[in-house]
Amino acid sequence: MALTTNYSNKSLLILDDLPEARSSLRSQVGMLGFERVVVSGTARDALEQFRKHRFDVILADYYLGEGTDGQQFLEFLRTRRIIGRGVLFIMVTAEKRYESVVTAAECLPDDYLLKPFTAEVLKLRLERLLEKKQRLARIDKLQDRGDWAGVIAACDEIIEARDRYMVDAMRIKGNALLAAGRHDDAVVFYQLMLLERPLPWSKLGLARALHLRGDSQDSKDTLSGLIAESPQLMAAYDLLGKVHLAAGDPDAALAVLDSACAISPNSLARHRAVASVAEEKGDFKRVEQALDKVVKRTRNTPLRETHDIARLGNALTELGEPAKAVSIIGEALTNYKGDAQDPMLAAVEAVAQQKAGNPDKARAALDRALQADAATLPVATTMAVAKACLSTGRHEEAQGILRKLVQTHHEATDLHQRVSTVLRDHGAAAIAESLVADSVNEIIQLNNDAVRRARAGELGPAAQMLTEAAQRLPGNTQIVANAAAALYFDVLHNGLDAEKVRQAQVFQKAVQAVAPGHPKLAEIAALVAQIREKFAASGQ
Amino acid sequence: MTEFPALAALTIHDVKNRLNLLVQHAERKGDGETLRLAMEAAATLTRLLQAYKAGTGQLRAEVDSHAPADVVEELAAEFRVQTSLRVELELAAAPVLACYDEALVRMVLQDALYNAMRHARAAIRISVGTADGCVEFSVADDGPGYPPEILGTPAMAMPADGEGTGLGLYLARQVAELHANGARRGELVLGNHGGAVFCLRLPL
Repeated sequence: MALTTNYSNKSLLILDDLPEARSSLRSQVGMLGFERVVVSGTARDALEQFRKHRFDVILADYYLGEGTDGQQFLEFLRTRRIIGRGVLFIMVTAEKRYESVVTAAECLPDDYLLKPFTAEVLKLRLERLLEKKQRLARIDKLQDRGDWAGVIAACDEIIEARDRYMVDAMRIKGNALLAAGRHDDAVVFYQLMLLERPLPWSKLGLARALHLRGDSQDSKDTLSGLIAESPQLMAAYDLLGKVHLAAGDPDAALAVLDSACAISPNSLARHRAVASVAEEKGDFKRVEQALDKVVKRTRNTPLRETHDIARLGNALTELGEPAKAVSIIGEALTNYKGDAQDPMLAAVEAVAQQKAGNPDKARAALDRALQADAATLPVATTMAVAKACLSTGRHEEAQGILRKLVQTHHEATDLHQRVSTVLRDHGAAAIAESLVADSVNEIIQLNNDAVRRARAGELGPAAQMLTEAAQRLPGNTQIVANAAAALYFDVLHNGLDAEKVRQAQVFQKAVQAVAPGHPKLAEIAALVAQIREKFAASGQ
Repeated sequence: MTEFPALAALTIHDVKNRLNLLVQHAERKGDGETLRLAMEAAATLTRLLQAYKAGTGQLRAEVDSHAPADVVEELAAEFRVQTSLRVELELAAAPVLACYDEALVRMVLQDALYNAMRHARAAIRISVGTADGCVEFSVADDGPGYPPEILGTPAMAMPADGEGTGLGLYLARQVAELHANGARRGELVLGNHGGAVFCLRLPL
């Protein structure tokens, strides 16, 4: 066979639990000219290697032993962003396993290599895939940066060229349209694709676009059709579950996820999804069943998640078994030093300790939970911390946390209901409704006042008000977007002010990062253009 | 006790892993004959598993867009190390992209190639082209051609013979049927033109 040296500058990782297979594959890639090769027998060791090296190519066997598989390993790498989109991941397997098709397209391997294979075939496959990576390298970088407009433009170039990467580019473009918040354009794009040739992924894309623009019934119909045609496509079940949930039907969501679990019982992501839905329904028995599987399966593997323990602990406490919750949390804290810093786990521990009759330990745990910077915590964690405060009698702190949470998400009515419920459940029924209503009103009032003052020509004070509110509630996208617009508006009419422009840019970028499709962004961009034109023309 | 089908699937998986080691071992020693025996044994196992799936209604085509030149280039490379016959490739008329299940098409063409290898005198020709809105994958040999009983037998009634030819053709027809675009379905066309010609046609 022909020897090549093309690969001498490429680094490659081999992951296989069987020593013979590792050394055999190693010698095979050696024959192809790879010189920088690292072999690992376990996912844990492979993760160690990622700390020391960067790899261009990963050849991972599907079966890894130790309760993990190549798919779980890949999901872990991609969701934690341990590898970028430019890294080639090839799954080596004896049979193509369709059931391992997972939620997100980005968690799919670049390719499957079916055993047995000859060195020639491996060589051809690597050449082809590396060529594709090279052709898509610019798009991969734009995607990693979240520059969706750039991604769409780059994809259009390839689509127009109508070469072999055309369909790859279409696939990426559809995702980019959705990520950019262009839901209507995405619907039209996928519908055109389906007219040309119906493929499962474009149907799934259409269903996702319909769901995001709020056409819940059309999305459900598309997904039901897709599941009938491709019952192994797990992503369709996951999305259908989400659509049911968004439509306020957790029972239907749970039923869909259950049927997905029956087809693909090894997916951790799906058991976690079942737990989330069951949590929402308040069905803690189901939460316990689902997470117990996940926790057992990931124990002592790199795939374990601290939040699985926290949510399992919460379910056990809710089921009246706080001692059991204390015990599993204790085990986690003993074995994993980092877990002590997790505010969610600490909050759950506080409630469990309180219920188990250890108020001192409860207080210590809650103090740990309150050390975290509240502004950066996800909603679920914030709710857990508030609940812990309420359970241990620290009502004032709880109310402060909840008020801020409602104000950060002042239009999220489902969250408002959960806030009211948690207050009611902890003997604060009297203020359960008023806390939410007052918090929401305060935000509405603030927005109205700002608009009124702006109309009255008080642009500076209006911008000032919104800036203060945005700094207090950095998670409230509407307030932050309004603050950016108000600052630019002030600058446009009252003249350039470096500090105001800088602050406006910070707010604008923050909105772009979390909500690239936010409607206010177009207005902000127009203001920026007007400012440029005005001050460039006047020579300032 | 595990159910037989699950046990069989695990066993097939295990044996394929060992055959993979054997292939890599033979490759290092430049032993083409052992490599062929191991590759063909693995192909037999794949056929067994897919035949079980076909028989229990679990055989499905997971259709996606692929460059058809890729799979045949790989197969040509795979077979050239297994035989002293000439393996020719004709890709001039191949479409840039077509929609099909690559793993299933690979299995079907692999079987056709082993069959051609048994009957060819000097050469095997793999070609890809388009006709009537279909992509056509053809495997032709310069042997005596298909016997009349194979060309004349109704598609699904083909019995499996000792060489697995019957099972291979049964699966090839199943795979063709599984590929559809709207009302159009794939088909398997067998013929004799200076040797046997096996042609898998799938709607574009």
